[in-house]
Amino acid sequence: MEDLFGSFGALLASTIRNATPLIFAALGGMFSERSGVVNIGLEGLMLIAAFAGVVGAFISGSALVGLGFGLAAGLLFALIHALMCITFEADQIISGTAINLLALFGTGFVMVLIFGGGGTSPRVSGFKEVAIPLLSDIPLIGPALFNQSVLVYLMYALIPITWFVVYRTPFGLRLRATGEVPEAVDTAGVSVARMRYYGVALSGLLAAFGGVYLSMGILSAFTENMTIGRGFIALAALIFGRWNPIGAAGAALLFGFGLAVTFQAPQEALPLEFIQMIPYILTVVALAGFGGRAIAPAAIGRPYRKE
Amino acid sequence: MTERETGEGTAGVREEAPVVLEMRGVTKTFGPVKANDDVSIMLRRGEILGLLGENGAGKSTLMKILYGLYKPDSGEIFVDGEEVTIHDPKDAVSRGIGMVHQHFTLIPPLTVAENIVLGAEPRRGASLDLEGAVKATEELSERYGLRVDPRARVANLSVGEQQRVEILKALYREARILVLDEPTAVLTPQETEDLFAVLKELVADGLSIILITHKLGELLGVSDEITIIRDGQVVDTVKTDETNEGELARLMVGRDVLLRVEKGASEVGEPRLVAQNLVVLSNTGARAVEDVSLEVRAGEILGVAGVDGNGQTQLAEALAGVRHIESGHVYLDGDEVTRLGGDARQERGLAYVPEDRGTKGLVQDFKLYENNSLKTYDEPPFSRFGWIFPKVMRRRAAEALRAYDVRPPDPDARAGSLSGGNQQKAILARELSGDPGVVIASQPTRGVDVGAIEFIHRQLLEQRAEGKAILLISLELEEVRSLSDRIVVLYAGRIVGEVSPEATDEELGLLMAGRGTEEKSA
Amino acid sequence: MSEDRPTRDPGGEASRPPAFRRLLGDAASALVFPLIAILISFVFGAIIMLLTGYDPIAAYGALFRGAFGSPLALGRTLLGATPLIFTGLAVAVAFRAGLFNIGGEGQFYIGSITAAVAGVYLGSLGVVGMVLALAACVLTGFLWGAIPGALKAYRGAHEVITTIMLNFVAILLATYLALNPFRSEGLVPGTEAIDLTARIPFIGLGLGRANYGFVFGLVAAVLVYLLLWRTKRGFEIRAVGLSPGAASYAGMGIGVNTVLALAIGGALAALGGGIEVLGVYGKMSIPFVTGLGFTGIGVALLGRNHPVGVVLGAVLFGGLAAGAQEMQFSTDVPLQLANVVGAIILLLVTATKLVELVVGKRARALASGTHLERGLGQ
Repeated sequence: MEDLFGSFGALLASTIRNATPLIFAALGGMFSERSGVVNIGLEGLMLIAAFAGVVGAFISGSALVGLGFGLAAGLLFALIHALMCITFEADQIISGTAINLLALFGTGFVMVLIFGGGGTSPRVSGFKEVAIPLLSDIPLIGPALFNQSVLVYLMYALIPITWFVVYRTPFGLRLRATGEVPEAVDTAGVSVARMRYYGVALSGLLAAFGGVYLSMGILSAFTENMTIGRGFIALAALIFGRWNPIGAAGAALLFGFGLAVTFQAPQEALPLEFIQMIPYILTVVALAGFGGRAIAPAAIGRPYRKE
Repeated sequence: MTERETGEGTAGVREEAPVVLEMRGVTKTFGPVKANDDVSIMLRRGEILGLLGENGAGKSTLMKILYGLYKPDSGEIFVDGEEVTIHDPKDAVSRGIGMVHQHFTLIPPLTVAENIVLGAEPRRGASLDLEGAVKATEELSERYGLRVDPRARVANLSVGEQQRVEILKALYREARILVLDEPTAVLTPQETEDLFAVLKELVADGLSIILITHKLGELLGVSDEITIIRDGQVVDTVKTDETNEGELARLMVGRDVLLRVEKGASEVGEPRLVAQNLVVLSNTGARAVEDVSLEVRAGEILGVAGVDGNGQTQLAEALAGVRHIESGHVYLDGDEVTRLGGDARQERGLAYVPEDRGTKGLVQDFKLYENNSLKTYDEPPFSRFGWIFPKVMRRRAAEALRAYDVRPPDPDARAGSLSGGNQQKAILARELSGDPGVVIASQPTRGVDVGAIEFIHRQLLEQRAEGKAILLISLELEEVRSLSDRIVVLYAGRIVGEVSPEATDEELGLLMAGRGTEEKSA
Repeated sequence: MSEDRPTRDPGGEASRPPAFRRLLGDAASALVFPLIAILISFVFGAIIMLLTGYDPIAAYGALFRGAFGSPLALGRTLLGATPLIFTGLAVAVAFRAGLFNIGGEGQFYIGSITAAVAGVYLGSLGVVGMVLALAACVLTGFLWGAIPGALKAYRGAHEVITTIMLNFVAILLATYLALNPFRSEGLVPGTEAIDLTARIPFIGLGLGRANYGFVFGLVAAVLVYLLLWRTKRGFEIRAVGLSPGAASYAGMGIGVNTVLALAIGGALAALGGGIEVLGVYGKMSIPFVTGLGFTGIGVALLGRNHPVGVVLGAVLFGGLAAGAQEMQFSTDVPLQLANVVGAIILLLVTATKLVELVVGKRARALASGTHLERGLGQ
C-alpha cells in the first residue's frame, strides 16, 4: 500500500512538472489564436526562452535575472511573429514554422558563441522547490501539488486569471471578437492590429514561462532542442481544449500525465514511442471527431487588410 | 454633370434645419478608376437623404470615406459646420457618425448585448459589466421600437433582427448621423416598412439619416431629399416631393430607361425542366426547400420571385445537380435526373448561371480559357486519355469570349481582373455556347452595370425565342416581371403562389411576405 | 463581394505582349519576390555576423565557394538539394490544391524507414531491389499522406494541425521500427546496411558523392509540372485549390482531390526519404537527419509552389547547407548561421507588406502563389 501511494504521489508530481510548461504555452497560444493569429511557433518561443533564461542565469548567477532574460527573448520572438503576420501580412503558418527553425538554429549558433560548442550548457542556478506550509502536508496529493517551484504556483493562478480575462473583461471581449470577425472590431473603433499584437505578445510571454520552467525548473541547464515537440503538444492541448483556457489546461494536464508515464512506466509493457504518440494521435482523433469546423476562432489564420 | 449642384446652391432654400454633415469635393481613385469624382453631399438635421445610384456608381465608396475606412484623395468633410478629418471608424464614431453596412459586421458567437457594447464596454472595476450591457441594450431597444433579445446569440437571429442590432450598435455609440447601406436588400416588403417606420421615429428624435440604395421606388416614400450619383459623380440633388420614379431612373442611368423589356412572342412547347415535390436541405440541415413542384416549358421564362433567403439558392442548386435532393424528382426533357450530378445534367443540356459568380461561377485566379473549360475540360476535344490540351481550350475560349462581348476578349486574362459585368458575360459565354436546352439563371444581373444587364436580358430572351426553357431566379422584382412569362413566388422554401407578370405590386408583395399561404391552408 | 469597388480597368488588358515575352515577364516577376526575401535575409545574416565579430564578406565568400566554387562543392550542393526537391514538391502539390502540407517531415521519415527496411530485404536484387524499394516508399508515403487528406475531406479536420501531429507519430513510428524489430546487430543504433548494389549510384563527373537522386528529383519536378498543368487531374487540383466553390459547381469532387493532393505530396516526400537512405546513408540510423521536411516548406514557398521554382529553391537551400561547412572551416563562423539565414528567408518569403516597402504596390500581385487566403477557421 505504502508503495502504491508513494508511486502515485511521484506520478502526480511528475505529471504536474510535465504539464506545467504545456499549460503555460497552451494558455499563451490561446491568447494568440483567440486574436486570430495562429501560433505554431510556440515550440520556438519556448526553446528560445529556455535558452535565454539559462544564459541570463549563467551571466548573472541569479535565477530571477534568468527568468527576465527568458521572458524578454520569448517576447522578442513573439513580436517578430506578430510583425510578420500582422504588419507584413506574411502567412501565419509559415512565419510560425520559421520562428521554430530560427529558435532551433539561433540557439545552436549562440551556444557555440557563448559556451563554445553545442550539446548542453553548463549548469546554472534554477528555481528550487518551495513547499507551501500546511497545503504540502495534505496526505497523498500535498507534496505532489504543493512542493513545487514558484513557477508551478504561478501556473495554478494563471488558469483562472486567464479565464477571467478572456470571458469577463472588455479586453477579453475585444480579443475574442478580433479572432471571429475583425471587420466588426475595426468598425467598432478598436484597432485589430493592436489587439493581435497584444495576443501574440502574451503568447510569447506565457510560452517563455514554460520554456524557462523547462530549463531552470525541471533541469538547471539548456540542451539543444530540449523542447522536443512540447510546443506542439501545447498546441495540441489548445485545440483539444477547444481554445478554452480551462479545457486547454485540462488537456495539457492529460498530456503531461502521458509524458510522466513514459518516464515511469516499465518499457517492456508498451514501447516508449507508442506512449509518446498518444497526445498527437488524440489530437488528430479529436479534430476528426468534432468535425474541425466552427470550433476554431473564425478569422484565425487570415491577415486583416484595411484596404 | 451639367446640373451638378453643391451644398451652397440649396442652402438658402431650407433654413429651418441646420446642416449636420457636408462632404465637399470628395475624390477617390482606385488605380485608373475614379470611384468618386468631386462628390459633394449635404445632410440636414432631422432629415433622411437618399443616396441613389447604380451598383458601382460610387455610393459605398463615399460612405466608406465618411466612416474612415477609405482615405479620400481630396475633399473636405464638415460635421456641424466644422471641418473634420476622419482617419478611422473611431474618429467617425466620436463625431456621432454611425454606419450599418450592407454586409453586417456582427460576431455570430457573441450575444446581442456583447455585440452592441463592443469597443465601448460598460465596466465594473476591471471587469466587463455584462448586466449593464444588457440593460443599456434593453433601454435603447424599447425607446426606438427595435425589438431584440439582448441575451440571444447573434448566430441565432434572423436577418431583420441582425439589422436591428446593427442600428442599436450605432445608437449605443450616440450616433446622430446614421448611414444605412442598402438596408432593404435582405428584407421582406413588410420588414422594409417596419424599418422605415423606425427610421422616421429616429429622425423625429433629431437624428439625420443617409439611406443608400439602388432601388429608386423605396426612396420616394421615406426620404426628404435624394442625391443621385452616376459614374462616381453627383448628377443632381432633388427634393423627394418634387420628383418621380421616371425622372430618378433617368438621372440614375443617364438616359431614358425602358422599364419594360420588349419580350416578343414565343412558341411555348413541351415541359423541358420539371421538378416534383422537391425537398432540399440547407447547409445547416434545415429544410430550405419544401415540397416544390414546377414546370418550365420550351420557349418560356419562368420567374421565381421572393425575398432573399427563402430557399432560392438551394432550389437552384438542387435543380442544377450541385446539391443533394432529400426527396422528390427532377426531370430533364422527360428523363429523370434526380440522382445525377451537375456534370451529368450539364451533358444533358442544362446550363446553370449561379448567383455567386465570384466564388461559384468562376475561379478568379484561373485564366479565362481555363474558366471557359471549367465544365468541359474532361471531354474531347479538350481532353483525351487524362491529358488536357490548353491550346484547344484557348482557341475555343477566344471564339466564345468574342461572341459574348467579354472585354477584354483575351483568353489569357485572369478572370478576377474583369469587371462584374464582364465576368458574368464570361459565364454566359461558357454556359450558353454549348447550346443547352434548359437554362437556370440565378440572379444573373446582380451587381453588374446597366449595359451588361441589358446584354444579359437580351441573351435570355434570345434563348427563349430559340425554344429553350429558362428558369429565372431573381431578387429584383422588376427583372422577374419584365422577363418572365409566368411567376412563382417562393416563401420559406415553398411555392406560395403563381401569378402573371401583370400582377400588382400588392399581390406580389403579399405573396412574398408569405400571406398567401395562411389563407390557403386555413 | 463588394460590388461597389471598381476592378482593374478592363480595357488596359487588351493590349498584351506576345506569348513568349509574356512568359518571360511572368518568370521575371515571379523571381522578384523571392530574390528580395533572400537579399534581406543575407543582409540580416551579415548584421548578425558584424554584431558577433565576424567578417560577413569573407564568410559569404567562403559560403559561396563551398556551395558552387568547385565540382566537388557543386556535388555537395546537389546532394543537399536532392531531398529538398522532394519535400518541396510535397508542399507545392498540396498547396496547389489549397492545402498546407506541414507533414513533409513525417512523410520523409515514413519513406526513409520504408526504404531502409525494404532495401535490406530486397538488397540482393541489386538495381531491381532499389527500384522496388523506392516504389514501396511511394506507396507508403501515398497512404500516409492520404490520412490527413481523408480526415480533411470527410471529417473537416484541418490539415495543418493533423499533418503537424502526424509528423511526430511518423517520427516515433520510424524510430520504433528502426530500433526494435529492424534493429541491426551493430553498435550504431538503426537498421542494417543495405547491399551496395541496391544503392543509388554516384553521378561521377567529379561531383563527389552526388548521386542520381538529384536526377530523379528533376524528373519528379517535370512529372509534377505535367500533372498539374497538362492533365485532367491537375486541372481539377488547381481549380479546387483556387476556388472550391466553383470547382464543385463544375462537378469536380473536392474530397477526392483533397485526398489525392495530400497523398501525392506524401508520396513525393517519402520518395525523398527513400532516396536519401538509398543514396546517402545506406541505412536509417537513429537519430536520423531532421528538418528536411520543414525546410521543404521554405523551398516550396521560395519557388512559389512551381516545380521549376522548387528546384531552384532546393539548390539554394542545398547550397546554404553545403557552403556552411566551408564557411565554418575557413572563417570560423559557426555553420548554424547558414541555417539561421535559411530560417530568415522562410520568415520573409511570404511577407507581402515588407516587400511592398521595397517594390511598391506591385508586391501583392507578385506574392500570388504564396498565400492561402482561406484562414484556418473555415
